Amino acid sequence: MSSGGRDESSIRAVGPMTDVVTALPRPRREAASDDRDPVGRLGRLLDAGSLAPLHEDDGSGVRAVAGRVEGQAVVAYCTDGRTMGGAIGAGGARRIARAIDLGADKGLPVLGLWHSGGARLAEGVESLDGIGSMFAAMVRASGRVPQISVVLGPAAGGAAYGPALTDLVIMSDAGRLFVTGPDVVRGVTGEDIDMAGLGGADAHGRRSGVVHLVAPSEAAALAQARRLTGLFARAGRFDPAAAGEPRDLRALLPDAPRRAYDVRPLVRAVLDEDGGFEEIQPRWAPNMVIGLGRLGGRAVGVVANNPIRKGGCLDSLSAEKASRFVRMCDALGVPLLVLVDVPGYLPGVRQEWDGVVRRGAKLLYAFAEATVPRVTLVTRKSFGGAYIAMNSRALGATAVFAWPEAEIAVMGAEAAVGILHRRRLAAAPEPDRPALAARLADEHRQIAAGVDRAVALGVVNEVIEPTTTRRRLIETFAAAADRRGEHGNIPL
Amino acid sequence: MWAARSAAGSLVTRSARTVPLEGMTMAEEVRAEMVANVWKVVVGVGDPVAAGDALVILDSMKMEIPVISEDGGTVSEIAVREGDVVQDGDLIAIVEPTPA
Repeated sequence: MSSGGRDESSIRAVGPMTDVVTALPRPRREAASDDRDPVGRLGRLLDAGSLAPLHEDDGSGVRAVAGRVEGQAVVAYCTDGRTMGGAIGAGGARRIARAIDLGADKGLPVLGLWHSGGARLAEGVESLDGIGSMFAAMVRASGRVPQISVVLGPAAGGAAYGPALTDLVIMSDAGRLFVTGPDVVRGVTGEDIDMAGLGGADAHGRRSGVVHLVAPSEAAALAQARRLTGLFARAGRFDPAAAGEPRDLRALLPDAPRRAYDVRPLVRAVLDEDGGFEEIQPRWAPNMVIGLGRLGGRAVGVVANNPIRKGGCLDSLSAEKASRFVRMCDALGVPLLVLVDVPGYLPGVRQEWDGVVRRGAKLLYAFAEATVPRVTLVTRKSFGGAYIAMNSRALGATAVFAWPEAEIAVMGAEAAVGILHRRRLAAAPEPDRPALAARLADEHRQIAAGVDRAVALGVVNEVIEPTTTRRRLIETFAAAADRRGEHGNIPL
Repeated sequence: MWAARSAAGSLVTRSARTVPLEGMTMAEEVRAEMVANVWKVVVGVGDPVAAGDALVILDSMKMEIPVISEDGGTVSEIAVREGDVVQDGDLIAIVEPTPA
């Protein structure tokens, strides 16, 4: 189905932001026989028979259309991968900008399909100016309507930054994203790498975090875009009656409180069974899980620490990953469910030099700024600075719940006792020390880390049972004011 | 901690600036993602493992954190012993893909 591979040899990036296709123009094929035909691609994205062109084919290399996804009106555009590798000139960029402005004015999601070598070299600076105007349109619409990009073939230079300015980027198996292609990389740095290695699914799904979702085929990528669009466009309402039978959520945690586990089965069990869970950036910064699903029928965003990776510690990348997601959900009116099991920030020289202070601050900012309903559930533990960052009451959480065994403290009891009672422990005979430390830790847990103390302080609203968690969450969201932030979604 | 997995040889580094073509079958290098003590080694060289199986269990941040094979296959190397301290990026094990 996908055909990006055919074009790989024709991409010759000549420098940053001026990537172009210099291959000789190919004879135009019959539209019906070429799966890169933009109208064909848009037709496969939209509900059958719903496509309505917004303009005649003008040779600009872009087609923009209106249509429906799951019955909801949308605006969509697609670059023409058949002509000049899909390169965009001023005319094509204007088509895209107008489509985005139309979507923003009418409040419709905007979907972009990308297969483009970047700017049309022959047009010179005019094409760069057009692409700049297209970027400006994307930023104007940011936070007003959802913008979803699907990369179906090579997308270089301006065609890479286009998707990057939108809310979510999906990449098919043939998708490639880079500022400068393999030839320029080889010429400048001596690094020898192919397009797939430089800008394919592994590069951007795992290493860079540029791509939010990777799909095994063009059809799967388009289906993914339809599902995400449906979550935004058919958001639904919280219905407490949809809580269903109590679920034994505690069974999804290990018996041993120290043992790490994968949080994703718990996320799926908290969410509606029939709503699915669209995990975003699953392989990048995997110690934080983010994604979209439904809770009590309403589309929600989920932010969850994942203890199986890095113990679930917050670190610079995971904080940045969550920050952008929180801001996207706030801007687009998607309520947030935050599942907390976090031992703290990850210590280390690399973290500090990576800017964990700067990047961690983004998460504090994102939650404190958010006006969308946002409810926190502490399942096992929430310690230190990470406690504050994970949508605490102090940052304005709509509500914070905790399960009965949860610990909420500045640090774990054992570590705290080691500091608070250092002298007493040192004075004790060596053989007695472990027992003393354990007893002191138990006492400390009761006094300073127990969830009752957190409730008394008001930092936890209520202790809830795992079995009734779904019902309490849905009731709490349903009672919250339906608000959303008024800001764009800068690609943090 | 878990496993900063990297396909062997796929990193672009100063020392080796060539990258195998996509699609080549490559061993799974399982690396530490944070500083930790190796608490338990739960597999041996030659053991078959499925995707998601624990190879070793680390102890860090007062937690027991299993290190898992993402792809599964046969364990061809265990680079750590119980009691070792691993740093971020240290090799923990290599898992060879099971021949198709």
